[in-house]
Amino acid sequence: MENKLIIAGAGSGKTRFLIERVAENPDRRTLITTYTDANGEEIRRKLLKHLGYIPENVVIQNWFSFLLEHGVRPYQGDVIDTEITGMMLVNTRSGLKTRTYQGHPVYFAEDTETERFYLAKDGRIFSDKISRFVLRCDKHHGGKVIERLSRVFRCVMIDEVQDLAGCDLDLILKLLDAPMDIVMVGDPRQVTYLTHREQKNKNYEYGRIADFIKEKKKKKTPCEIDEEILAHSHRNNAAICAFSSSLYPQLNPTMPCTCDSCRSDVAEHQGIFLVRPEDVLHYLGQHDAVQLRWDRSVKVERGFSVHNLGASKGLTFDHVLIYPTGDMVSWLKDRSFELKPGTKAKLYVGITRARHSVAIVYQFNDEVIEGVENFGVDEASVT
Amino acid sequence: MRIEKVVIENFKCFHGRFQIDLNDGLNVIVGQNESGKSTIIEAIHLCLTGLFNGRYLRNELSQYLFNKKTETDYLSAVKEGNSPEPPHILIELYLKGEDTPELANLIGNLNSDGESASGLRYMVHFNDDYKGEYEKLLESGTLRSIPIEFYRDSLKSFARRERTIRSLPLRSALVDATKVRTQSGSDVYVSRIIRDNLEDDDRVQISQAHRKMREGFMEEPAVKAISEKIGDDAKISDQNISISVDLSTQNAWETSLMTYLGDTPFHFIGRGEQSIIKTKLALSHKRAKEANVVLLEEPESHLSHSKLTQLLKSIQDDIGTKQIVVSTHNSFVANKLGLEGLILLSNQQTAKLDHLTPDSRDFFMKLAGYDTLRLVLCESAILVEGDSDELVVQRAYMDGHSGKLPLQNGIDVISVGTSFLRFLEIAEEIGTRVAVVTDSDGDVAAVKKKYQSYLGENAKDHIRICFDEEVDDGPLNEGENKFNYNTLEPKLLKVNDLNSLNGILGGAQASNDELLVSMRANKTEVALKIFEADTSITYPQYILDAIEHCGGE
Repeated sequence: MENKLIIAGAGSGKTRFLIERVAENPDRRTLITTYTDANGEEIRRKLLKHLGYIPENVVIQNWFSFLLEHGVRPYQGDVIDTEITGMMLVNTRSGLKTRTYQGHPVYFAEDTETERFYLAKDGRIFSDKISRFVLRCDKHHGGKVIERLSRVFRCVMIDEVQDLAGCDLDLILKLLDAPMDIVMVGDPRQVTYLTHREQKNKNYEYGRIADFIKEKKKKKTPCEIDEEILAHSHRNNAAICAFSSSLYPQLNPTMPCTCDSCRSDVAEHQGIFLVRPEDVLHYLGQHDAVQLRWDRSVKVERGFSVHNLGASKGLTFDHVLIYPTGDMVSWLKDRSFELKPGTKAKLYVGITRARHSVAIVYQFNDEVIEGVENFGVDEASVT
Repeated sequence: MRIEKVVIENFKCFHGRFQIDLNDGLNVIVGQNESGKSTIIEAIHLCLTGLFNGRYLRNELSQYLFNKKTETDYLSAVKEGNSPEPPHILIELYLKGEDTPELANLIGNLNSDGESASGLRYMVHFNDDYKGEYEKLLESGTLRSIPIEFYRDSLKSFARRERTIRSLPLRSALVDATKVRTQSGSDVYVSRIIRDNLEDDDRVQISQAHRKMREGFMEEPAVKAISEKIGDDAKISDQNISISVDLSTQNAWETSLMTYLGDTPFHFIGRGEQSIIKTKLALSHKRAKEANVVLLEEPESHLSHSKLTQLLKSIQDDIGTKQIVVSTHNSFVANKLGLEGLILLSNQQTAKLDHLTPDSRDFFMKLAGYDTLRLVLCESAILVEGDSDELVVQRAYMDGHSGKLPLQNGIDVISVGTSFLRFLEIAEEIGTRVAVVTDSDGDVAAVKKKYQSYLGENAKDHIRICFDEEVDDGPLNEGENKFNYNTLEPKLLKVNDLNSLNGILGGAQASNDELLVSMRANKTEVALKIFEADTSITYPQYILDAIEHCGGE
């Protein structure tokens, strides 16, 4: 079976790579899965654009509903008898039983309180334990879950594989050994979501899946890891590539693609800019930039489109305007400032959405940051 | 894809769990009335189409779907103050076939076996949303029937996923000649079968053509004029009022098109012809992707013998890779379709005839007139050679059982000609209690050789071979041959006397020899007279042995 993991930067055509594989073999029963619904929709849209239709044999499903349908439900009997009604998305460790007098949490035990360990009271399974449950079902039934899966799908494609963590990774090892093709693409810089947090495989959190596979994968069915094939960004221009790559100096920098089709529409407005808050409206009007913010609590200009940084993953715009967090500003001023992994990833995602220009809202005075222009300064001096 | 096994719980005549294993190709289900033949067919169709009696069951759930005993058990448990689980109806189809993704997709362990299998599970069950109401109802003590208003149905794969009928990889077509079913003039079944027969391209084309036709209708000046007239007259609203054809539903063509045979609308042709056409349509199903189950309910109804032969032939010729389930009461149907596909149903148990030798299978298929089903369906049987033996054995039985016919006690006396061994093979397979009444024709060794599988060390408890081991002889000749003293009539004379037989037969034969010759010449007439006589005669021991073996008290 042909297994492949491709690590590449933003805009390098990872999703496109998957879609081309589907197009090569549209009759192969294929699952394309990814963590977010938004990205799933994007894949559907791109596939439709590329092929003109969605092949009957291709299923696009988000990671959790895939696990629920093909991992949890077929063999949940014997492990948990009550009907699992759905999934409950949790942000913190689930299955809290009580707290001690000192306030320490006590959790339900997997072996003796299985049902409460995995399920909320309404019968929904906790999102942080789905893949763990799938592995347990598979083990309990002597590998039946994975066997069934390999009979339903001949190929499993995982987009944004860097979002997977914990038991998800162990599950991937199982999938790699099963008789089907596994194609995974991801970018360790873009871990804006994690499916969940858990102690298991903690060292490989934040997109270190390539290392995980290198270290844990047994020889039986190899998985080719390719970090070169998609080294060029078809989206970002040279300035944006350089700026985004400076977030991850230890990784190979992304280069802009120089082919004719990629560089055919050179915009007038290009580069990285700082924009003072009072100039934002003016800037937006002038360049039709899309606003990117941390979350809904950030005040933005109404009347111009806006996305949360995390949710913008996979999207492409000509011009973006980012409302940075305090830490992001610190990094901007001092590139040796250590950003938290999640913050860094979101900033990276935000920057790499743009094809031509990235603006960052910042109340600058007279400081000058290398490679960054201060918007409005020249005009102000003129008037 | 095929159905390997059907499990039914509490549906109609099945109390508790019932299971039937199906053959890949033909399945001929036979059984007494009320044994559940039709229920099996209805259950399969319900699971695959959601239809029951031609209507969507979802909207018409009723407590009458439940097994009567299931309901009484439940109600008496409620009465005793226990709180039993409200009963459910379950229909499970276990599937097998080529290892395709469609088949694998249905694999899981949500089934009553708790094993990993591919299949579908239809249930009519209590809806937990009504727990509160149900408990109140229990407290009030007014529960008199299954509280069907709190029930719902569901269709899931064994992988615990809710499925819609449309998404199923398996379809069924039901041809039920015993009932009339029409819906708005057109026969739902025919239109369904035709609809299923169409490829997606065909559907698109037909629905577009239909749309064009309706649009054309509305463009007609006459229709336009009428619309304007209505618009002027009716000032009931600010909006314009006009008439139009319903363009809203996607598949309107399915309901507004009618099937014709020649110039006659389908539902106006004879019932028998209808079922032939329906069956042929169902069998000619062309959609490559979908395996099909064709369900035939009593195909013999409304059909003449020659039409029936025609129908059975087309079933055999066109079965292809389809799975067919037929219910029948008719030996001819069973023989013709092949006894290896026979499934006998009684008391919620099934038995098969799949170990029959190919030779016997062939024999009954070619000579389909034999009453094989009588043997299969009776409690026990006495096999005799011909009409005269049949009559005498019947009368002998009546004499020993205060005038009751053997059939009244579940014993069938069947004339099998010379095919004793063929019938015994069937009896052996399904374990029916059988006695053979045969002549020795003077060669006991030959008889013993013929029945060696059932005599001596090979004797079977439920099969007994009865004949007179004593070889009789006499001076009579028939032409050049010696008279056969070892058939029924001479044996009768042996245990009776000339006078009493003369009395019963109303004759005046002067000697035993004359009587023998005359009885020989009028076998059936003699037997009839014995059967109808006011006084009884004495019967040879081997006949009494046969009767005793079959019991029938």
